[in-house]
Amino acid sequence: MAGSDHLTADRGVPAFLGRPGPTAFHRLNPLTKATLATVTAVAAVVLGGLLGPIGLVVAAIIVPAGVARVLRRLMRTALLLALPIGVSAFLINLFFFPGGEQVLVRIGPITATAEGLAFALEILVRILAISGAVTLFYLTTRPADLVLDLERRGVSPRIAFVANASVQTVPAMVDRAAQITSAQRARGLDTEGSVWRRLRGVVPIVGPVIMGSIAEVEERTMALEARGFTRPGRRTLLWAPSDTVAEAVTRWGLVLALLAVIVVRLTGIWR
Amino acid sequence: MTLTLTGVGYRYAGARRPALLDIDLELPDGVVVGLAGASEAGKTTLCLVASGLAPRTVGGQIRGRITLDGEEVDAWPMHRLSQRIGIGFQNPATQLSQVASTVFEEVAFGPMNLAIERDEVVTRTWEALTTLRIDGLAERDPQRLSGGQQQLVAMAGLLAMRPAHLVLDEPTAQLDPAGTRLVADAIDRLARDGASILVAEQKTDLLAAVASSVIVLAEGRVVLQGATAQVLADPRLPELGVPERSAVRLERAASAAGVGRDRLAGALHD
Amino acid sequence: MTEVAAVGLVHVFRTSGVRALDGVDLRLGPGERVALIGQNGSGKTTLVRHLNGLLRPTEGLVTVDGADASGLTVAQLASRVGLVFQDPDRQIFAGSVRAEVEFGPRNLGRSGEGLRRAVVDALAATGLNGEEGTNPYDLGQSRRKLLALASVLAMRTPVLVLDEPTTGQDARGVERVRSVVDAVSAQGRTVIAISHDMRFVAETFERVVVMRAGRIILDGPPSLVFAADSWATLHSSFLEPPLAAVVGERLGLGSTPTDAGLITALGRS
Repeated sequence: MAGSDHLTADRGVPAFLGRPGPTAFHRLNPLTKATLATVTAVAAVVLGGLLGPIGLVVAAIIVPAGVARVLRRLMRTALLLALPIGVSAFLINLFFFPGGEQVLVRIGPITATAEGLAFALEILVRILAISGAVTLFYLTTRPADLVLDLERRGVSPRIAFVANASVQTVPAMVDRAAQITSAQRARGLDTEGSVWRRLRGVVPIVGPVIMGSIAEVEERTMALEARGFTRPGRRTLLWAPSDTVAEAVTRWGLVLALLAVIVVRLTGIWR
Repeated sequence: MTLTLTGVGYRYAGARRPALLDIDLELPDGVVVGLAGASEAGKTTLCLVASGLAPRTVGGQIRGRITLDGEEVDAWPMHRLSQRIGIGFQNPATQLSQVASTVFEEVAFGPMNLAIERDEVVTRTWEALTTLRIDGLAERDPQRLSGGQQQLVAMAGLLAMRPAHLVLDEPTAQLDPAGTRLVADAIDRLARDGASILVAEQKTDLLAAVASSVIVLAEGRVVLQGATAQVLADPRLPELGVPERSAVRLERAASAAGVGRDRLAGALHD
Repeated sequence: MTEVAAVGLVHVFRTSGVRALDGVDLRLGPGERVALIGQNGSGKTTLVRHLNGLLRPTEGLVTVDGADASGLTVAQLASRVGLVFQDPDRQIFAGSVRAEVEFGPRNLGRSGEGLRRAVVDALAATGLNGEEGTNPYDLGQSRRKLLALASVLAMRTPVLVLDEPTTGQDARGVERVRSVVDAVSAQGRTVIAISHDMRFVAETFERVVVMRAGRIILDGPPSLVFAADSWATLHSSFLEPPLAAVVGERLGLGSTPTDAGLITALGRS
């Protein structure tokens, strides 16, 4: 188009693309961090006893979190995440562990046993390990960076797009539902009354949320297609997270270590 | 590159009546054509048909011929056509890809999809941003911009594809006055630079400022066509559901009241 | 008839900390026709959402007929203040136009002949009579907006609030909205509308309230708000006076915000 004959200062690739993270841990390749999280979570479950998982939590979660300077946030978030399941699992095992004999405390008809306590602690540590591993990954990695890395390694751009865009859908839908609720309340829909009335109020909200989302999907699809989205094959990436041989070796090392642990446990060599 | 529609008709899937009938339209290089008409007259449909989204993405049946410099395009897939004709919509937010954390990446989205070489992508992106004077927004989060700014980002995203023609479907319909001014100025500058644009708008004052010719649709057909000044002064506009230009409206009211027409004309055409 | 007021109204959004309203005093008398204009982000939408309780004041209060609105639920306030949202698709849920329009008055306890009458009148006022059985999504965007208006009109509230009724409307739609405002006001009901269309504002409303940064910076009839003295204030909010006002000023005819006013002044001079 004629309008493009402008004197544009070619500024090159902008520096703000692919902003590196604040710490060395942040700057690790997303796949490395994902591998660490997965291996830690699985190993915590597979390893026997209490010391193993605790050691794992310290080495693979607490220490890296310290390096990444997210320790406090990690503890808060991971604890919150683990709380519902963790508390109930702990209590169930404490009081209802089958074969528990050494009584610690009796509360009415239910009894807390020492065996139950031991098992409950083991379960709790594992739940905390999984929650901690996932949280560490989440706090130090942008989802879009992980998706870009996967795309660089060969995942289809269209699948990558869906992965990225899906993250946006939930808050968008929540926002939409809130607006629709306001509009219906303005027409007398009672959201502050009895449960029955509130249940009846679901239809005038769910309908527009769904219809609106469908209509919006249509518009978005058109806009995407108008920008070559459906062109088959790979696309150009402006940048992708860097990776090093050392990290690749580490990833494989972690996976192999995990496999070794699983084999050892299965064959009962070390209890 | 001239985009030509000859005897084009279009019916949405499952619709009883056609949305467009017998459309003859020519969009050459360097010309801005305005598209006016009441709601449901077919403006959006015509934009979708001209850009190829109808029937490719939207479905439905199409009749007649659409050619680019004489070559028929009905077999072209959407990603090929999108490099010749860009289309922008009313709603600023739904045009954002939602996967770009900066305006730069948002605008680069199109060229990236076309697997254009990286340095070329970067050049085109800066070019598009500079043309629309939003290079200062390059680092911003597109989701946090105003409606008018988002519309400009969407337009930049289209320009980065280096289309021969731009089709804009009521780009200012959902914007506040500040946003409307931003977008109208951008369209004006593009026009002066020789861009080829088909722009549908309710705001006839805007069309008067940028379009060299105007087409008026009613019930899917072209009912008026010609130079902007003439079409926008046509007495049939109100009954066709097209608002008159403010200046024309005032002059007409003055005539009807038999007062100071010349004085008014003088003040209006300053 | 109902009087609505905001007194020293301040609203700070908890999640963002944004001070959207910074001390607003506004009194709306029965039968008044008020337009609320200003840039996006000036606080217009935040203000009107206080009138039916969707938002509650951080400081100050909102009164309906002198009583503090904070003692009433949104559902209760809905019988006094009807609010039509800008996007009809964030409201329309029924399978037919009739069911959609019935929703509001039903919630307010109307039934039988009273309900039927309310629906018929609302559809007639918005030009949708004859479309009772139509699926709302078969109406075009423009008429769906009128449907949203009809569904609140049918509630027959003494106060009617319209959030950008003309945005995205074609010429006929704007005309319809204007006639609705006239008709509602003639019944002694109060209308307050947020709008970006300055001509629509000048020609339809007798009072214009201009907002910027959470405050009211101008409040008066169109002849004041669109007079040359106010242009600097308007421009600071990216607002433009209607062409009639600009031409009137150019011809030295004083303040002529409407076409009719300009023509009359021309005739007199």
